[in-house]
Amino acid sequence: MQVIILSWEFPPRMVGQLADYVMRLAHQLVKNDVETHVVTYHDYLTGQHKESEGVNTTRVSNPVRTHIGVLTWVLTLNQEVVRAASNIYHESNKMVDLIDVHDWHFLQSAVTLKKAFDIPFVFSVESLEEHRSHGANFPFNMAIKSLEWLGLYEAKRAIVKSEWMRDEVVRLYRVPVEKIVVIKPRSKTWIPEVLEAYRNVVGGSSSK
Amino acid sequence: MMLTWEFPPRIIGGISPHVFHLSRNLAKNGVKVYVVTCDFPGAPEREIVDGVEVFRVDSYKNPSPDFATWVYLMNINLQKEAAAIVNSLGGEVDIFHAHDWLVATAGIGLKHVFRKPLLATMHSTEIGRRNGLHFDYERMIHETEAWLTYEAWRAICCSHYMVSHVRWAFGLPEDKLVMIPNGVKAEDYMEGPNEGLSEFREKFARAEEKIVLFVGRLVYEKGIQVLVEAIPKVLEKVNAKFIVVGSGYMKDPLMNLARSRGLAHKLLFTGFVDDKTLRNLQRVADVSVVPSLFEPFGIVALEAMAAGSPVVVSDTGGLAEIVEHDVTGVKAYPDNPNSLAWGITRVLLEDKYADWLRGNALRKVQEVYNWEKISRQTKHVYEAVLNDYAKSFWA
Repeated sequence: MQVIILSWEFPPRMVGQLADYVMRLAHQLVKNDVETHVVTYHDYLTGQHKESEGVNTTRVSNPVRTHIGVLTWVLTLNQEVVRAASNIYHESNKMVDLIDVHDWHFLQSAVTLKKAFDIPFVFSVESLEEHRSHGANFPFNMAIKSLEWLGLYEAKRAIVKSEWMRDEVVRLYRVPVEKIVVIKPRSKTWIPEVLEAYRNVVGGSSSK
Repeated sequence: MMLTWEFPPRIIGGISPHVFHLSRNLAKNGVKVYVVTCDFPGAPEREIVDGVEVFRVDSYKNPSPDFATWVYLMNINLQKEAAAIVNSLGGEVDIFHAHDWLVATAGIGLKHVFRKPLLATMHSTEIGRRNGLHFDYERMIHETEAWLTYEAWRAICCSHYMVSHVRWAFGLPEDKLVMIPNGVKAEDYMEGPNEGLSEFREKFARAEEKIVLFVGRLVYEKGIQVLVEAIPKVLEKVNAKFIVVGSGYMKDPLMNLARSRGLAHKLLFTGFVDDKTLRNLQRVADVSVVPSLFEPFGIVALEAMAAGSPVVVSDTGGLAEIVEHDVTGVKAYPDNPNSLAWGITRVLLEDKYADWLRGNALRKVQEVYNWEKISRQTKHVYEAVLNDYAKSFWA
């Protein structure tokens, strides 16, 4: 299996807990014979890199240097993410089975890649805009929520990290509960459960 | 596959008619054209117009923090739907052609996803519209434009002025830029009966008054204030009525100015008018004036020329290229009411001179600015790019 992980944070760039989580996930996937690519952001450590643990990383930066907020920064950065992911796809003879996208930032890239190549994706939810912004509903928050909605709609599965988050996803976005998989990162069966979720998605996809 | 944020019936500015005429003429010339654009109330999601396959995509409709953020959000939908369309066609799209920064991010992504060349037509620039970059918002748009021209295999501009402007603004190599003029469908302006025109004219001006016509947005860069300053200078020599078509933030200040100078009875603001009225106005006008201070192309001058109205334009930007002084029109110094009044007066007082300009202008419109020819030039650029592409490792 070949997987592309999209995450806006990955060591050495740490914003919150996500970087550490995605790194552990990538390492474990490699150990379980999953060909793993991580596409992430860094301002200057850009380009492709083979990490010592066998993870292939591609770091991109934003060609548009001036921004009016995090939203426009994310919306433009995605084109570089799409470019990097497309390069992986084309250079691996179109053998990418799955995209795992973490949080809202790069969802639009996952959606475009799905539409273009019929590659399914899972949306791994670390947090939601509703909770991050304490229910604020300015156009800014609405835009991020609409991206989360798009991601949940287009994803084959949503992976959440607690039952509480599963219920929140259902409550906020009316996602059918069967679409959501709860996998607890501290569980002993964490990686086997992730692998099973991946296999279910890849096996169930019409293109593979 | 063309990407554009506006396509008829959605008409906001000049890009919509441009893509409309270009795409249907390309189709006539044997190019299979798909247009992916924003939706519009009442317009079908998918239709074939004169051989062009048009796809209208849900534009982002939630409230947006600002226009630029809306553009980027709308581009998400444009990109994902375009990706699905190309996928459904089995990847059989050879070129992505983006019109302006408004579709930049969608176009850039599609280029890399499908590994096909991207072309960009730069209709305008932020640095030109704003006369410099003053805020981060403007800088962001400018850098998005720069990114688009960087990713594009060729950047098309509609005048030599815009070629050098775009080259300067984004530091592009010369061989990346192509000049293909904008066009006008001259037949649209010549059609229709001549009878009834004199009654039509009477609604706007007295028989003894000459008609001086301005068409454009009433904003600073269009130079309407220069024309208003020129009115008394023209009236010293010739009796005329000044008709202003269009709207904009300068309307009220200009009306006040005209009233305070006692010119209100000589100056008529019509606001927006429908196409037919506009064309008839252009046909009955004794002179059309385009006094712009910044003008990438100046389509309104071409339209007047096609309608058989002599033109007086300011010697700047694309206008300076469309009009040859004393041959196809009169050029005045930009931002100079004396010079503008001199040009208007000359055309109004010398009928033979006016007829000479009319004839030459119409011929030039038909020879240079016709869509058939423009689409052939565009097809030529497509072929050149595909030739380069065939030698690249993407092929």
